Amino acid sequence: MTRRDGIAWPVIRIVLLGAIALVMTAPYIFMITTSFKPQSEVFAGGLNLLPQQWSIVANYSKAVTAVPLLRILLNGVIVCAAIVFFQILFALPAAYSLAKLRFGGRDIIFGLVIMGLLVPIHAISIPLYAMARWAGLLNTLAVLIAPFTLSVFAIFLFRQFIKTFPNDMVLAARSDGLSEAAIVWRVILPNAWPAASAFAIFSVVAHWNDLYWPLITVSKTQLATPPLGLMFFRAAEVGDDYGALMAATVLITLPLVLFFLFAQRLFIEGLTMSGIKG
Amino acid sequence: MRHEVFPSVAGAARHEAIAAWRLCAPTLVLMLLLLVLPSLAVVALSLTDAELGSSDWHFLGLSAYRDLLGDRDFQRAFRNTAVYVGLVAPASVLLGLALALLIEAGTTARAFFRSVFFLPVVSLIVAMGTVWQYLMHPTIGPLDLLLGKLGLPAVNWLGTSDTVLWGLAIIGIWQAVGFNMVLYLAGLTSIDRALYQAAEIDGAKSAWERFRLVTWPMLSPMTLFVITISVINSVKVFETVAALTQGGPAKASEVLLWSIYQEGFVYLHIGTASAMAVVFVAVLLVLILVQTRVLERRVQYQ
Amino acid sequence: MLRRLLASVALSLFALALPARADTTIVVHYPMPGFFKSVMEQISTEYMKQHPDVKITFTSPSPTYEDGLQLMLRQAGTPDMPDVSFIGLNRLRVLAERNIGTDLTPFIKADPNFGKEGFSDRLLNLAKFGGKQMGLAFATSNPIFYYNADLVKKAGGDPDNPPKTWDEVFKLAAKIQALGDGVTGMAYRWMGDDWMFSALLFGDGGKMLSDDEKKVAFDGPEGLFALKLIDRMVKDGKMPAMTSDAEIQGFTAGKIGMFFFTTGALRQVINGVGNKFELRTTAMPVIDATKGRLPTGGAAAVMFTTDPAKQKVVFDFVKFASGPYGASVVVPGTGYVPNNDLAATDEHYLANFYKENPLFQAGLNQMPLMIPWYSFPGNNGVKVTQTIVDNLAILVEQKATPEETLKTMSGEVQKLLPR
Repeated sequence: MTRRDGIAWPVIRIVLLGAIALVMTAPYIFMITTSFKPQSEVFAGGLNLLPQQWSIVANYSKAVTAVPLLRILLNGVIVCAAIVFFQILFALPAAYSLAKLRFGGRDIIFGLVIMGLLVPIHAISIPLYAMARWAGLLNTLAVLIAPFTLSVFAIFLFRQFIKTFPNDMVLAARSDGLSEAAIVWRVILPNAWPAASAFAIFSVVAHWNDLYWPLITVSKTQLATPPLGLMFFRAAEVGDDYGALMAATVLITLPLVLFFLFAQRLFIEGLTMSGIKG
Repeated sequence: MRHEVFPSVAGAARHEAIAAWRLCAPTLVLMLLLLVLPSLAVVALSLTDAELGSSDWHFLGLSAYRDLLGDRDFQRAFRNTAVYVGLVAPASVLLGLALALLIEAGTTARAFFRSVFFLPVVSLIVAMGTVWQYLMHPTIGPLDLLLGKLGLPAVNWLGTSDTVLWGLAIIGIWQAVGFNMVLYLAGLTSIDRALYQAAEIDGAKSAWERFRLVTWPMLSPMTLFVITISVINSVKVFETVAALTQGGPAKASEVLLWSIYQEGFVYLHIGTASAMAVVFVAVLLVLILVQTRVLERRVQYQ
Repeated sequence: MLRRLLASVALSLFALALPARADTTIVVHYPMPGFFKSVMEQISTEYMKQHPDVKITFTSPSPTYEDGLQLMLRQAGTPDMPDVSFIGLNRLRVLAERNIGTDLTPFIKADPNFGKEGFSDRLLNLAKFGGKQMGLAFATSNPIFYYNADLVKKAGGDPDNPPKTWDEVFKLAAKIQALGDGVTGMAYRWMGDDWMFSALLFGDGGKMLSDDEKKVAFDGPEGLFALKLIDRMVKDGKMPAMTSDAEIQGFTAGKIGMFFFTTGALRQVINGVGNKFELRTTAMPVIDATKGRLPTGGAAAVMFTTDPAKQKVVFDFVKFASGPYGASVVVPGTGYVPNNDLAATDEHYLANFYKENPLFQAGLNQMPLMIPWYSFPGNNGVKVTQTIVDNLAILVEQKATPEETLKTMSGEVQKLLPR
């Protein structure tokens, strides 16, 4: 980008970045090393990173058995995947209509999209909870998925994106005899893939982290998502066995982190895309 | 649904409209169920003193809002949220920018550092919050032990009402920096190199001048976006409060969303909680509007 | 031919009349898994062994009594509600006033054996509200004085003669604090709920509300005394402002000399201390030798199910858990004191246990002083407790004087009482 003279600057840069990186990753370092320590060592205090007594098996097995951790991680995967699936399923056709088709309701619907962007889900959580309760859907996977299947952000994002497609694309498809629905799935989706995958990443990160909605709708451990599962674990251990608690946090953080490390470009480009277009 | 070439323009238009409605149908239904009805319900509930599970309620009208806005606890929740946002948003934006600039300033290890700084963004907030709670523990936490070694007094970050918002802010900044950094990186790489050359020709010699004359103005659209996102996200802080402090000590970390949760789902006063929710949305709206108006003027588009 | 037909019809009718051995499943909810998890598992396993046609499953436990109550209130009337839960003794009133939970009186009356199983009237009264038997007291506790004998010795005190008054406590705390090395003299668990505050209030002979429950009564000299004590804990005893969890962890790590908390935490503390130091327990420092009382902490088993078949099983399980067998598990497993008269004295149950485990005697010896944990009337009971805790926090952080705190606290609580 810019020219720097001499070799002093590159070194300074690396040192600076390295120092900050150390601070940023300190929590991970402590998280992992503490998860190897037995309870007595954790409470002895001290800044020793390496445990004198290794307690990996005890801590990690406790983490996995005190709450059904693997089941909880699976719940998280199922819920997030289902949410993204339905979000795109419903949003893409709507976005296409808003972007490329002419019909009377277009402005109203787009107005509703804007309204939806401004109203966060927390604000309407009380009536949504009441509806779920009345429908007997509390403590089900369905209740964790259903409210989020509507994503006005997705509609907005895809609409912006599809608007940049040349109209000829659509006209050509029509004259090939494709129905509008077919156009959405056979023409638009393949071309909107960057936006779709970008949105998917964004959605997964947001919903993987969500504690508020599971907290009020789920009380059974088997149906917990990862954030809620960790809360249950903390309650069960009363924060005493920090070694096991850290082991639990390691296991619960691992999936998304691994996914990120393997698909970095996808993540970062995706978020950037949502950023630039949003 | 198969169709052949339209016999007339009017027919085509009607066809298009029908198709559009069909494609939008699921979304419309969902919008009604999940957006419009609940929003109306929240506004309606906010004017009552309804309780969850009880059928005995009274209509309060606008006095519900008067009571709410005069309530000391709600005012405190407001203040706490404002302080938190004031700590987290600027810091995470500036740090994000600084890191992006540092990374872009050289060619080595870019991808590595980018991933390292982005790691907190993809880590479960509740989990990493728990780790930070351990780091900040008053007796055995490494943070205070480190401060001790440096000769500084220990701070009970999350246990004292004076410092709890700072403790939560540290966690919030740590989590948000990577996200802002990535956005800024994208912004930086999209700046036309020719502009820098032009600036140099015009006499801009130092890095600071290059930054001031080219980088910063060119980044302004991205800065607007980053600030908006950071503010909105920090207003919605909930997970760390729920997991680590539960609004305490002495309500010092009680933030807006936590108040809504407590009032509605713990104390079961859904009337009051709905009023809080309406105020919450109003606050967000105002913030978005203010930012768009104030900052948009300063934004330079290509 | 006809006789055989009649015989087979009679046999089938007879078979139909026999109760079918269908499996009944009951769902149990409880709070404070840190105290109760292994206890609950042990009791339920034993019950299932004795009743093979019953299956007991647990729903996710709540971290505290308060969370447990809130969850029940929120789940009331929905199919998610468990069949039985264990509710903090001071919150039974909230359930009674909202008609949540089943009155056990008819079940008790119909049970011929009930009188012989050690459930005294005193015990039943702990869970009786407005004439309704809301549940059976399952675990009861009182506050006790834990101390680190090693630190006491190091500071020049005598572990065999622990402080008997608060003045002595503060003197010893200052000495322990002077040992340095990050050691704190004392911690008093005032966060979480109003229980430990009421320990000081009742210890001075005070009351929470007036007899007609319309006015705050802790704004008198006893209340002021209690707050002044807490103030002195910070000023003289050098008590730091910490969360309850941090206090327990600090004590078990050996960094806090004296700790005042429920006897129900005893097993958890013993496990946490391990071999790090010599743990001792004793009675709370005496405030008023004649008028002084202590609050009864703990929980009662409450029945929620309205299905008659399940109700029979739940009542039986509740008796089992609160009866002598349950007590024999709960007491050693936690440190709660036996609420069942039979359990404490009968050799089959706990008589030997107390002889062999002196740490547990502190709570046992204080039992004559126990009075009920106060339940605030009206819709805002939980908020009242929270208000008290918040004001204590301000006092502990030395942001207000005891007099100011008392005024603010009684004013705020008065506003929350039903008019």
